[in-house]
Amino acid sequence: MIRKRITITNPLGLHARPATMLVKLATKFRSEFHIRKDDMVINGKSIMGVMTLAAEYGSELEIIADGVDETFLINEITELFQTNFGE
Amino acid sequence: MKKITVKDFYQEKKEDFSLSVVTTPKTLKNTISSQYLNRPGLVISGFFDRFAYRRIQILGETEISFMQTFDDGALYDRLREILMYGIPCFIVTKGLSVPKQMEYLADEMNIAILSSRLTTDRLYLALRKYLEKVFAPTKSMHGTLVDVYGVGVMLTGKSGIGKSEAALDLVERGHRLITDDVVKLRLNDETVLGMPSNDYGHFMEIRGVGLIDVEKMFGIQAVRKKKRVGVQVELMPWSDNMDYERIGLTGNLVDILGIKIPIVYLPVSPGKNVSVIIEVIALNHILKIYGYDAAQEYAQRLQQELAKKAQKRSHIIKQEI
Repeated sequence: MIRKRITITNPLGLHARPATMLVKLATKFRSEFHIRKDDMVINGKSIMGVMTLAAEYGSELEIIADGVDETFLINEITELFQTNFGE
Repeated sequence: MKKITVKDFYQEKKEDFSLSVVTTPKTLKNTISSQYLNRPGLVISGFFDRFAYRRIQILGETEISFMQTFDDGALYDRLREILMYGIPCFIVTKGLSVPKQMEYLADEMNIAILSSRLTTDRLYLALRKYLEKVFAPTKSMHGTLVDVYGVGVMLTGKSGIGKSEAALDLVERGHRLITDDVVKLRLNDETVLGMPSNDYGHFMEIRGVGLIDVEKMFGIQAVRKKKRVGVQVELMPWSDNMDYERIGLTGNLVDILGIKIPIVYLPVSPGKNVSVIIEVIALNHILKIYGYDAAQEYAQRLQQELAKKAQKRSHIIKQEI
């Protein structure tokens, strides 16, 4: 299992479009994928879950992957956050 | 390019347009290849530039009374010149009679003169509507068309994916079948009309059972003759590589006869109740027509919350400084 802390750096926060990108990327992997924000943990492959986080600009998330391709998953998801979802 | 013979036109529409043939029956062999009409007032007066001779020529009271102002000889020469162009046919309105020379010339040169009892205005409108329909672009598509809550849902997908079964389930739930397997599509103004490709009735093939007659089995309320296509639903086997719609913010569109129709790619798997999802697709389509887009609404609420929270956060940081 890998855990990693990430800060939201795109000004609009994790709104519908980046949430969709995140979920679509995550579902390509076989590992389990969860996201934690404060005391809320959701399934990172569920769009409603990701949007329920309402992760605003500057907030901190923990991404948690568990499975055969967990390293790849974490790397690619991190990259998506670092590039601000192309915004 | 589509064509119809004057004879076919006459036989199909003689009652609707109260038509009769003035010339001999052999003149009915010409073909009509334009959906437009022309009133030949200007050519009768001698102005032949841009004469739309391929169109049906409508002779109303104006044209007929104008011709009556000519000398017999002059009228004969002028009409001869006009008929040389190879007109599909003339239609005289209000049951008026044409000059004798014209009838003679038309017989000689094999151009039909039809007479309609309708007024010029009414014939013009009705004829334009009819011709537009005849010359409208059409195509056939492999699929099943069902009217779901008043939305024409076109089910497509590979053979054996379960289009007919989904349609049957929808019919059972009170929706109406237009046609199964082959849908004939016709452009109608800015919409696409779907209808059966033949008039045998509403038959359907169910694998393992054979043909069933939906109208006999479920009654007249289970079928309808034609329906505007509102949304296409492509049934497809579940695939891990396929990007399925998750929120629905960016709707996919498909081009049918030049008209953009929303399309939903619907993964099906055994045991999944497709008909309920199709009902939901139809209802969501209606909501969108009425101006409510659930995806946009949700996204907007989320965005507002994110903005509020981000502002609050920057406030706290400022206070700490």
